[in-house]
Amino acid sequence: MPDGQIVISGLTKQYKQVRAVDDLSFTVESGRVTGFLGPNGAGKTTTLRMLLNLVTPTAGTATIGGHRYADLTDPIRTVGAILEASAAHSGRTGRNHLRVICEVNGFPASRADEVLDLVGLTPAAKRKFKGYSLGMRQRLGIAAALLGDPGVLILDEPANGLDPEGIRWMRELLRGLAGQGRTILVSSHLLSEMEQLADDVVIIAAGRLIRQGPLDEVIGAMSTDAQVRVRTPEPEKLTAALAEIGATVTPRGDGGLLVTGAEAAAIGDAAHAAGVPLHELATQRPDLEDVFLELTQGKAAIR
Amino acid sequence: MTRLIRGELLKIRTTNTWWLFGLGALVMTGVALTINSIQAHFFLKPFDDYLSSTRRRGPGDLPRGRLTALQQEWAANHDVIGQAAKIFTSGQFIGVLIVMLLGILLITNEYHHQTVTTTFLNTPHRTTVVLGKLVTGVLLGAFFWLATTAVNLVVGSIFLHSQGCDSQLAPSQVCGSQLAPSQVCGSQLGHWEVIRAILLNLAAYAIWAVFGIGFGALVRSQLGATVTATVLYLAGTAAGRLIFELIHTFWIDKDWVLTAQVVIPSVASQVMISPVKTFEQSPQQWVGAVVLIGYGLVAGVIGTWILRRRDVS
Repeated sequence: MPDGQIVISGLTKQYKQVRAVDDLSFTVESGRVTGFLGPNGAGKTTTLRMLLNLVTPTAGTATIGGHRYADLTDPIRTVGAILEASAAHSGRTGRNHLRVICEVNGFPASRADEVLDLVGLTPAAKRKFKGYSLGMRQRLGIAAALLGDPGVLILDEPANGLDPEGIRWMRELLRGLAGQGRTILVSSHLLSEMEQLADDVVIIAAGRLIRQGPLDEVIGAMSTDAQVRVRTPEPEKLTAALAEIGATVTPRGDGGLLVTGAEAAAIGDAAHAAGVPLHELATQRPDLEDVFLELTQGKAAIR
Repeated sequence: MTRLIRGELLKIRTTNTWWLFGLGALVMTGVALTINSIQAHFFLKPFDDYLSSTRRRGPGDLPRGRLTALQQEWAANHDVIGQAAKIFTSGQFIGVLIVMLLGILLITNEYHHQTVTTTFLNTPHRTTVVLGKLVTGVLLGAFFWLATTAVNLVVGSIFLHSQGCDSQLAPSQVCGSQLAPSQVCGSQLGHWEVIRAILLNLAAYAIWAVFGIGFGALVRSQLGATVTATVLYLAGTAAGRLIFELIHTFWIDKDWVLTAQVVIPSVASQVMISPVKTFEQSPQQWVGAVVLIGYGLVAGVIGTWILRRRDVS
């Protein structure tokens, strides 16, 4: 796979009323899956569209492998993009939609059949686009993006409107594509999906960069103190025992306790020594959703 | 570029639009051809026959003014070359409208169906995309011209041959020279004026397609663009001519005011192809051609400029 590093530098888009993207800079490393996260209206779609030369930036640059999209000699063989699901002529069949792209890029028509097979659309190949379900439309979009076998994939909310089975299919497909060493930049609202899929994350809000880095680091940086969830029929006795090992106990609303300042093992040992039965003992780590909500708090307002 | 044009042609071939529009163009050509042939049949008769055929009631004295008007009309049209040119270019009025609508669809389909994203991702150089569409539009125009002209040539030649040789037929007013009797019968395809009219008709089809592409870029909404263009074309022609008539009657009583009607695009394309005057003060054919090519260039340049600048979101 060729070098597919994406560099966004000082990118800005000023619309009449709103600065959709505001001096945004980040990099997407080659050969990794990067989750592009942000609340609604954060400027994700505008950023991706500027990267793909569909929207003209007010300032700044966006390059793929060192080139602006418009300067790529063979864009479809370099970058595959899925920006919206419903993007084919309603009266044209799925196969013909792909054939047009093949024709423009000089691929044989058989390539259309190959990618249709890859996304499982072969049975519906000769049906008109208007008869496609949202999931089938999304699959056709992915088929189109894969026609040129590109090393870089850019997907804007690919799971939007998909049912659970479709989401699982999408996850497996993206995993497979990432496993082949492709660079994947994917924006999504499904944070649990991203947590399973992404190597790196880029979080933006109100058009600005909030945090960028490997997923573990971004989550790790937020967890100042690990918390342990404990449940016991004798809370007073346990609180006293834990105070002896220097841990702080906060009662939770549901009758359980939240302990900071001690590892789960130490808490278990202390309870055992004090003869207190434990019904629950679990280390609580912040997940991507916690981190995301904390980082973007107050910035998700409608601008 | 070739691949781009082939892609555009494939886009057209893979939807129902082209043959529905083609069918419409052929039907309208058939209607126009019938009307033009019937008119030619009467105009090519000697004046006395023409006079009796235009009057349903029995012989009687016409008012003097009416008789003069009929005589002028007959004299202007009693020209086999002019009639042949008209017959062989039958259907132009609706044909170029249909081609213009196809040109509009070439652009507005991309926005209506959101395929413009895919198109620009495939070809990031937008000028190239527009050039490809312009060439495709011209090819489409040529195709429609070919189909309608083929019908006109076959049916028109049969009709003109059926009219026989009338030695009384007036010499061509275009050439201004006397024609031998052998030249005033038959299909008239040996005359440069007729061939030129047919070729200029091709130019008209091509330019109107370019026109449609420019208009489609200007008015992105598919419904908005097609309806506006059709109304402007049909009503605009009549309204435009009326305005020039009014200016002439109430303001500037000069012939050039009426000649200036050629700035109406549909009038320009009629003037361009017609070897005889389409209206009394109509300018030379080349003026119509210049006006129409001018419009085509302006539409193409504006369309390209808009599509280059406009964000796709």
